[in-house]
Formats: sequence, structure tokens, C-alpha cells
Amino acid sequence: MDILATGQELIANLGLGFSTAALPINLGFCFVGVLLGTLIGVLPGIGPTATIAMLLPITFNFEPATSLIMLAGIYYGAQYGGSTTAILINLPGESSSAVTAIDGYQMAKQGRAGPALATAALGSFFAGSVATVLIALFAPPLTEVALKFGPAEYFSLMMLGLVASVALASGSVLKALAMVVLGLLLGLVGSDVNTGAQRFTMGFLELADGLNFVAVAVGVFGIAEILRNLENETDREVMVKKVTNLWPSKEDFKAMVAPVLRGTALGSVLGILPGGGAVLSSFAAYTVEKRISKTPERFGKGAIEGVAAPESANNAGAQTSFIPMLTLGIPANPVMALMIGAMIIQGIQPGPNVASEKPELFWGLIASMWVGNLMLVLLNLPLIGLWVRLLTVPYTMLFPAILAFCAIGVYSVNSNAFDLFAVAAFGLLGYVLVKLECEPAPLLLGFVLGPMLEENLRRAMTISRGDPSVFVTRPLSATLLVLAVLVLVVTFLPSVRAKRDEVFQEDA
Amino acid sequence: MMQVNTRDAAAGGIFIAIAAAFALGTMDLTIGTALRMGPGYFPLLLAGVLGLLGVIILLKSFGRPSVEIGTVPWRGAALILISPIVFGLTIRWLGLAPSVALVVAISAFASRRSTVKLAVALTLALTLFCVIVFQRWLGLPIPVFNGPFAPLNPYFDMAYAPFGAAFSAIGSALAGVVAALRGLFGA
Amino acid sequence: MLKHLAAAATFAAIFAAPAQAQNYPSRTITMVVPFAAGGPTDTVSRLVAESMSKDLGQQIIIENVGGAGGTLGAGRVAKADPDGYTLLLHHIGMATSAVLYRKLPYDTLNAFEYVGLVTEVPMTLVARANFEPTDLKSLIAYAKANKDQVTYANAGIGAASHLCGMLFMSKIETPLTTVPYKGTGPAMTDLVGGQVDVMCDQTTNTTNQIKSGKIKAYATTSKERLAALPDVPTAAEAGLPGFEVGIWHGVYAPKGTSSEIVQKLSASLQKALKDPAVVKRFADLGTTPSSDAEATPEGLKTKLTSEIDRWSPVIKAAGVYAD
Repeated sequence: MDILATGQELIANLGLGFSTAALPINLGFCFVGVLLGTLIGVLPGIGPTATIAMLLPITFNFEPATSLIMLAGIYYGAQYGGSTTAILINLPGESSSAVTAIDGYQMAKQGRAGPALATAALGSFFAGSVATVLIALFAPPLTEVALKFGPAEYFSLMMLGLVASVALASGSVLKALAMVVLGLLLGLVGSDVNTGAQRFTMGFLELADGLNFVAVAVGVFGIAEILRNLENETDREVMVKKVTNLWPSKEDFKAMVAPVLRGTALGSVLGILPGGGAVLSSFAAYTVEKRISKTPERFGKGAIEGVAAPESANNAGAQTSFIPMLTLGIPANPVMALMIGAMIIQGIQPGPNVASEKPELFWGLIASMWVGNLMLVLLNLPLIGLWVRLLTVPYTMLFPAILAFCAIGVYSVNSNAFDLFAVAAFGLLGYVLVKLECEPAPLLLGFVLGPMLEENLRRAMTISRGDPSVFVTRPLSATLLVLAVLVLVVTFLPSVRAKRDEVFQEDA
Repeated sequence: MMQVNTRDAAAGGIFIAIAAAFALGTMDLTIGTALRMGPGYFPLLLAGVLGLLGVIILLKSFGRPSVEIGTVPWRGAALILISPIVFGLTIRWLGLAPSVALVVAISAFASRRSTVKLAVALTLALTLFCVIVFQRWLGLPIPVFNGPFAPLNPYFDMAYAPFGAAFSAIGSALAGVVAALRGLFGA
Repeated sequence: MLKHLAAAATFAAIFAAPAQAQNYPSRTITMVVPFAAGGPTDTVSRLVAESMSKDLGQQIIIENVGGAGGTLGAGRVAKADPDGYTLLLHHIGMATSAVLYRKLPYDTLNAFEYVGLVTEVPMTLVARANFEPTDLKSLIAYAKANKDQVTYANAGIGAASHLCGMLFMSKIETPLTTVPYKGTGPAMTDLVGGQVDVMCDQTTNTTNQIKSGKIKAYATTSKERLAALPDVPTAAEAGLPGFEVGIWHGVYAPKGTSSEIVQKLSASLQKALKDPAVVKRFADLGTTPSSDAEATPEGLKTKLTSEIDRWSPVIKAAGVYAD
């Protein structure tokens, strides 16, 4: 009975939502949003946060629902576009597409950019559709789960994520570990939250809020990649000739089904956690695929699962990160903070009352996410041909463009020249490390998680008044830590190690 | 003569050096104890771990075959790394257009295949593209020209005016269509 | 060389100023907001800038220059050309940074011209829903009995919630265990989730949570009860007189901006603050626009100096610094 009633209610709610989303003006601006999002996602360096911030004033003149639908479209459109650059030029636009670059770029190098892009688009669409239904069905109970996460649970979750990320690397485990730790250290640069002490800022006020993520990512991934391509400028031409089919083969489709499903599940769950949820989910999805694969040695060399799983996970996560914002008025990431800002400007108090007081807005936004995802897949599939053609543009012409976009993008975040010096410094560091066969992806994960790991560790200890047993006496936290230990043990089990070493020998 | 994998040895060395730098950086911070952690506690711990990993990587490099590091594009690297710095130094002073032009012009010569003709064409095309997309359409709050170039702004505005008018005409046409549709569907 | 340049610049400024003031503003004005886009201060400035743009006939664009508790953005404006085309909208942090930071890239009292006070957002003292004390008096008694067993969440050093907490602890003369977060969002999540006990935050962030019963409110830090929360007593009513904190916002221009321009801006600000659209949106934020007397250079100057005097002892007693 109850289920029936809930079902009817859901259908009524979604009906209301679709009737709002299907208004021509909302459809129009949803399209404008996803188109714009795709474009800025594809322009390396400039991300959804900066774009939404710049476009906020325009939305003054819109109806609240229209403005939120467009801004949301920019957000998930940028996720699509961001993976496009990750695959084509090894430049993740967002931390969550850093993993996609590992295998996606390898696929592109093998002339399989088309299938890689199609996989990303289809996986994202599926994940987006599922996550939309999940939001409609479970937004309130899922929020309760997120609230159960205290500092101890976050710390344990991040430990699990970091341990798992070691399995990401295709080369030496030791180097991967070192890169994670280096990332963690870089993440700690800036003011200490607890005491305000300046750490490793060398007297620069610009570093007080830490290194800028976009600057680090552009440097370590983008600039380093450009330098690598300059080493041997003939490589590029060879690669382009090999482009054959644009569409995934039958085998590709078979190979991507399970990873997409697993990625969607992981992303949906982790996405609701404030902070690193969406990032962790893509890393976790990749790790899971590599772990359970019968041929883990293919990962890092263009495995289609390595694109399908994280792309589904990050899109599902991007979608479900709306849950805490919509149900509690609490932002899970900077983009959600901007969405809340947009609501306040429109005179809506974000929080638990939005769903009951403004149902047409609440459900309209949810319905528009599905509509937007559909638009994205329809928009992106025909564009794949165009993006692949982009690879045929001589590299000599391509990289000055990448540099110009990156420079503007990095500057637009904080209007700060210092961030551009950081781009150069991290470009150099990234290039040197890549030359020494150290992969940049674990570094980026460490960089994002570093401050959160420390904060939650110290916060948990403060709240427990210095009693470290909180990490094992709280059931959720204990479970996560046990999982982390299990992953660690499995990674170092003799049989697995032998396999890894084998792979490593092949590598060397 | 014992073999050394120079690549691993260098990686180990770099990690040790970075760890040492971070450890030094914690010198003027309160370390505290495990129960009452100061701002220096966690970084010092991490620096220790990084240093240890660096030492292991360095030690393991001995007795392994050496690997070619490969060529390094020195001139290209220098130009590519300089261009964001130049952008940072000039963006507020000269404005968007001159800064973008500088970045493109400098980086274009990083490639050995570049020619002067190509560089000039690229510079013009990309500068125009960036100014229109970022400044005019996305509303980036940076003037097109600034400082010594500021007098050029009215000329740019004039040159852009017909295009701007065309774009907004397209925009209002679209809005009209939307409004008409809205009327049709009785929104 | 630099001296010559400076002299030349001053010279140019002197000659250019009257001409500029007459047809000011002749181009786009940049208003620097020293915080990230989307936050409460950003919202306030966008609302005001939108209305002032209409009045001045030139677009005022918002540039978010975040970092170091607002001091980076303020430093940027302090060094900008005093031509009226670069303005600053800053909140209470303008006063508290002067004490919280021992080294600032600008001289708070001598680097700016004052345009006017914009608004003052009140705060509410709140706790997790199942926290034992039922009203402010029992909270104070509970805090004195349990001292550092009580956890107080804030959004980092210099944040409104941090200032409010310092004042609360100094008023009740009892130190609580402070749990800092990076921003109000995660702090509120943990308060709603019951991980921490008490917090004090702007009504913008708390009103909805209070109304839905996810958290409970002990008092507002305003002089009068708030229209949005009529059942919540003021601190004075609840038994803690003098516990008043408001997050006030002001508009500044770089030192040396001509008084004609400042007056023009100030008049435009006063008009904007009477714009019905602004008044309504401010009401939604739980705040009211400053009066004509406050939205003047003198009004802002008085506020700034009195707030520096007021917070110095509190911050120095707490012994916290942001650098």
C-alpha cells in the first residue's frame, strides 16, 4: 500500500517536473546550458565553477526554475566536455576526469578516440539517467546516510580511497605511493584551518588558501603533455592516420556494460558525500575495474573499461551531489555553493523546504537533468567526428591554443597572476616526473584529499577529546578501515605481487 | 661496474629532496603530539613517509639495467614554461588581447616546425577568438586593452559593434521564437 | 625611476580628476568582492551592483578576488588607481583583519575612501536538535558545567561564525572546544548530523534549518527579534545582554578617489538601498538595508573604527591570529 502510494506520488511529482522542464523556455535554456557546458568543458583550463560564477548576473532576469536549469546544465555539460579533453589531449578539466585520461588518452593514441568518446558519452548518459531516478526516489533517505558521516567516517573513507589509488598505477607501486604522498603534502600548502598558521607559503599571501587545483592540474597534466609531445613531433602524425572507426565495436559494447553498471552504482552512492565524493567515485570505480579484471595489465594501455567505469561514476556522482544541496541546502562542492548563491539571489532559501514550498522548481530541476542528459548525448555523439578531426589539426597549431585557454581559465578562477606562475612550476615538475615514469593521477588524488584527510583526522580527534579509538568504535568507520586493510593486503599478496611484477617487467 | 637505473635513482633523489624541503618547512611550525596535533604534525609525518619511499626507490635502482631518458626539447620547454608567466605578468597591465597574443606568439615558436607566417596567423586568430568568446560572451571581467593600449578599446568596440549587433539580433530572434512557442503551447 | 613614475601618476591624476568626476562614470566599473562567488557577501554585492548599475548608467561588474580571509582582494583595491572604476565591497572582516593579521598588505584605516554602509546581517546561536540545553540560560549553565566537553563549530579563522563564537565565549567567560571547518557548509552538515554541539552563523544559512527543526536556535545576536524567526528571542531577552554581532558590509574606494566621485557613488548606493527589488531580496536574506545616514562615507568610517576598537580586545584575549 505504502509503496503504491509512494509510487503514485513519485509519478505525480515527476509529471509536475517534466511539465516544468518541457516548457519551451526551460528546454531552450537547458540546451543553452548544456551546450555552453560542453564548450567550456572542451576548452581546457576553464571549468564550470568559473563559468557559472561569470554567468550568475545574467540569470538575474530569469525565472528561478529557468536559471537553475541552465546553471545545472552548464555543470553536467562541463563534465561531458571535460572528459573530451581528457581523452583527446590528456588534459582533465575536472579532478573527476583525471582517471579518464589514463586509458582514454591511450585509446586516442591508438586511433580509438571515437570509441573512447562514445563510451564516455553513453556511459555518462546511462549513469545520469539512473542517478536522476535515484534523486527522485531517495533524495531524503540518502541525505540521512550522508549525515551519518562524521569526521571519523570521512577519514576512514579517504584512507580507503588512497590505499585503493595505489592500484591505479600501471608501473611501480612504490612510485605510485610516493606520488600520492607528494600530492597529500602539496595539498597541505596554505593556512592551517585549526590554528591559522601559514604552512609552506614562503611568505606569499596568494598561497594562504593553498595551491589552486586548476593550476596544478593544468601544469602537471597539460603542460607536461605538451612538452612530451614536443620531444618527438612526428609521433602525432602517425597516430592520426590510424583513426579508423568512430563507433565502439560489438566487443567494446560487451566490455563496457558491466563497468558502466558498477561505475553508476559507486558514483551514485559516493556522490552524495560532501567534499571528495565525486572525485573518489571515479578513482574507486577505476580501481574496482582493474582489481576484478582478468587482464589488469591492459589498464593504462587503453582499456575501454578504464573509460566506461570512471565516466559513469563521475556523472552519477555529479548528479547525486545535488541531493544534499536540494534537501538540506548544503553545498557538496564549489559548484553547488554557486547554485545556492543563485537560489538566494532569486529569493529562494535553499533547504529542506524547497521541495514542499516550490515543488515545480524542485521537480522541474530534477526532470531537467534527465532532459539535459538526453540533449548531451544527442549533441555529443554527432560531435565525436568533429572532435576526432581535431586530432588531425597539426600539433604545432593546437598547443598554443591549449596554452592560451589554460592561461585565461586559470586566471579567471581567482584573478590572480600567482596561479599562472604555479602553472609553469607544476608544468616543469610534472614533466620531470613523467620523464621518470611517475604517473600524475595519484598525485592529483592526493592533492585533493590531503587537506580533507588531515582536517577530518584532527577534527575527529578534537571531538573525541584525543581518543583515537573513535576510528574503530564507530561501526561505519571501522568497516571502511577494515576494507582499506583488505585492499592493502590483497595488493601485496604474493600471487598478486607476482602478477604485478610480471607486468612491471614487461613495462621496463 | 654495477648497473644503476638512472631513471629510478633520479626519481628517488627528487622525492628525497622534496621530502627534505617539506620537513624543513615544518621547522617553524608547532608539531604537537598524536593526541593534540599541531599544524606541523601531519606534514612532518608525510614528509617522513615520502623520504622513506624515496630512499627505497633509490636503493632499488641499483643493480637494475639503465634506461634511456630520451630527448628533451630544451628550447620548446623554455618557451612553453615562460608563456604562462608572461601572461601572469602582463594580464592586468596590458589587458586581455595583448596578453593572449604574447602567450600564443611565444609558445608558437616552441615547435621546431613553426614558421613566422604560421605564428602570426595563429596569434591573430586565437587572440580574436579568445577576446570574443571569453570577454564578450562569457563576460570575463578583464578589459580587452589596458595600460598603454587602453586608447585602443573604443576602436575595438567600434569594430565589434556590427558583430555584437548581429549576435544580439540572432539572440532576440531566438527569444522571439521561444516566446512564440510559449504562446502556442500556452505556458 | 619609480619615484618619477609615481610623481607623473599623481600629476596626471590631479589634472584628470575634475574632468573625470564630471562625466563619471564613462565606462564599466569593477567591484571587487574579496570572497568566492556564491557566498552571502557575493550575493549582497551582486544585488547592490545590479541596482547601482541602472542608476549610474554604466555596468558594475563583480570581480571575485578570494583568498586569505578577504585581505587579498582588499589589498588589490588598495593598490588600484583611485579613479572610481575599482571599488571594494567587504564585510566585517575589514575591521577584524586589522587585528587578526599582524602583517597586512595595506593600512586598513588609511588606504581607502569610504562610500557607505550597505547592510548588517544578524546571526543566530544554534545547536544540534537533540542537544540537552533548552534555552540560552540553560546552555550557559551547561557550558560552565561541562566546559571543553561542549564542541563549538566554526567556519575557519576570521569567519563570521568564528568571531561570534569568540564573543560568546568571552561573554560567558568559558572556553569551549572549537572545531574549525573550511566554510559554513560542512560545519552546518556536521551540526545537522549531530557531530558537533553548538554553532553561530548568519541567518542566511540558519533560518531554513531552524524552521524545519533540523537544528534549534537559542538566540539571535540582533537588537530586535527577526521577522523571519519571530519565536527566537534576542540574546538580551534570553539573558546575555551585549552579545550582539552583525555581519555588516561596506563599499570602499582606493585612497585618493575624488570626493565628487565618492559622493556620486554614495548617493547611488542610497538609491539602490531603497530599490524595492533590493529591499525585498535583503528581507529574504533576513536583513534590512542601511539607512541614508549610515550609507554615507561618515557612516561607514564610524562603523569601521568602532568595530576595530570593539574586536581588538576580544581577538587579542583569545590569542588567535590568522598568520
